[in-house]
Amino acid sequence: MKVTTGLGDELTHTSGRMRRRILFDRVIGWVLLLAFAAVFFPLFDLIGWVASYALPTMSWATLTQNQVGTGGGLYAMIWGTLVLITLGTGIAGALGISAGFYTAEFAPPAVKRIARLAGNVLAGIPAIVLGYFGYYALVLYTHWGFTTLAGGIILGVFMLPYIFRTTDIALSNVPPSQREASLALGSSRLQYLRRVAFPIAFPTIFTGVFFAMALGLGEAAPLVYTAGWSSTPVQSLMQPTSFLTGGIWAFYDFPRSFGSFLALAFQAAFLLIVIVLAINIVVQVLSDRYRRRLAGLYE
Amino acid sequence: MGAWLGSPVALIPLLILGAVVAVLLIASGLKDFGLTFWGFQYRFVPGEPDASSWGIGVFLVGTFLTASLSLVLATALSLALAISSVVYLPPLPGRLLSMVTNLLAGIPSVVYGIWGFVVLAPYFGLTLEPSLRDVLGWLPGFGGPASDIGPWGTLLAVFVLTIMIIPLTTALMREALRSVPRDLVEAGLAVGATRWEVVRRVRLPVARNGLWSAVLLGFGRALGESVAVAMVIGGTSIALPPNLYASTTTVASFIFSQLDSALIYPNLFVLLVEFSLVLLVVAVVVNLVAQRFTRVELATATTLGGGE
Repeated sequence: MKVTTGLGDELTHTSGRMRRRILFDRVIGWVLLLAFAAVFFPLFDLIGWVASYALPTMSWATLTQNQVGTGGGLYAMIWGTLVLITLGTGIAGALGISAGFYTAEFAPPAVKRIARLAGNVLAGIPAIVLGYFGYYALVLYTHWGFTTLAGGIILGVFMLPYIFRTTDIALSNVPPSQREASLALGSSRLQYLRRVAFPIAFPTIFTGVFFAMALGLGEAAPLVYTAGWSSTPVQSLMQPTSFLTGGIWAFYDFPRSFGSFLALAFQAAFLLIVIVLAINIVVQVLSDRYRRRLAGLYE
Repeated sequence: MGAWLGSPVALIPLLILGAVVAVLLIASGLKDFGLTFWGFQYRFVPGEPDASSWGIGVFLVGTFLTASLSLVLATALSLALAISSVVYLPPLPGRLLSMVTNLLAGIPSVVYGIWGFVVLAPYFGLTLEPSLRDVLGWLPGFGGPASDIGPWGTLLAVFVLTIMIIPLTTALMREALRSVPRDLVEAGLAVGATRWEVVRRVRLPVARNGLWSAVLLGFGRALGESVAVAMVIGGTSIALPPNLYASTTTVASFIFSQLDSALIYPNLFVLLVEFSLVLLVVAVVVNLVAQRFTRVELATATTLGGGE
């Protein structure tokens, strides 16, 4: 049997055993490719189906109207999601980036180790546990009831470890040569951080913040027990609010015949997918471009 | 100066972690963590919460069952994806793979939930489950009737969970395989081993720790997933599932779906606090064990994972 090895004619001299090994290697390479179906099929099937449920019933009113009875639009949920994600990103960004800066630059080694471990453990805590923690601490104990503020805080706690760890990694990975050059020229630590480390670390931190945002946008678990629900757009931080993921959870199991609840759920799902994918692509493009500008630094 | 000034700020994550644990412990009042709690009983008397009794047993079985089954599938698939993209494929399809897994990772869990509930469920009920029963019915778990509430159950939850954790495990495994020292790989190739032989004899053994921690971190993720599982697992019957088609429930999805009850029944509220504590402890232990294996990280694997 003639085996196509792709390695050239020299292998015609090799033994049968060698040929079998090479053939096996090739076959495995193709068999492993089958696994690609496991990621491509769900992605396209999911996006296709969600679009096919959402798009026929979607109109401008979907974005601008409140939900009325079993119909209407998603305005209150979109607005609520915006407020919540702004709060969450604000809180997680402020705390996470400063914790990351201090961990990377100032903390003694023991503190570094503990902080990093705590960050990773926090990232591993199920979102629903954070949600229930928020329910007890911020809804019942404070007597606030369900509030947008509580939702935003818990969303911030959920997002924090991602921003913290990314910031820390980004700063720790700044090439030592850059640091030494800067310090040797007499810059202070703060000058080094502001003028040298931050610009280099920025694309990674930026990526982390936006990925955390995408994660936060898609989470319902920290919010149902804290932000509550409201069918009108939220006016103050001390009121409950609705949000897109909550809309899907509230409406997903209504039959198709029951008003347009199911359509609303799919519209919210479609909107979320579009937003999250858009964030993904923008982040990828921007951070690639920024990194290319900095490429010289790493050589 | 910076060192002592910075430490409290650096410890923000630790403080939050401590606060979560402390608050849940206080809220539970360490009430009845006794034998009943760890048992398999579940009797809920509506309107008479004090007459109800429950144990976490069924929920834990449901959690570990769905998480481990989906992990077996996800491990096999992501190992194949990781080997394929690190060893066999040219850079371009490798980049395509990381793009697709990034997109999959970005899709919100409730969207997976509604997709599973509305789109996948009919396929499972009408096609997949009957044929599985025909072919594999003699295996324990694969025989027996469908659940009476429809196609929503363990198998659907396992499928959805598998797709949800593949991005994380794939990113971590790729990282582990990539960080195998080049010298070792090239030494293997230089003595005439094929790519597959290098994978078998060099890359996998050397990357073993990283691969194990990928598996564990995927397990932790699957254990804690609440929303998507709550939407597809049925969750109506609080009993051990007789087979894979039966509806059951998990700790996380139960907590998530019981908002209304928690508002009304003080007893159930405390029960959910205790469930949260158990889930927290399990997740922390799984994560700590995973971190012991390598310096591969959960948080940055999620944000930067397939970013290359």
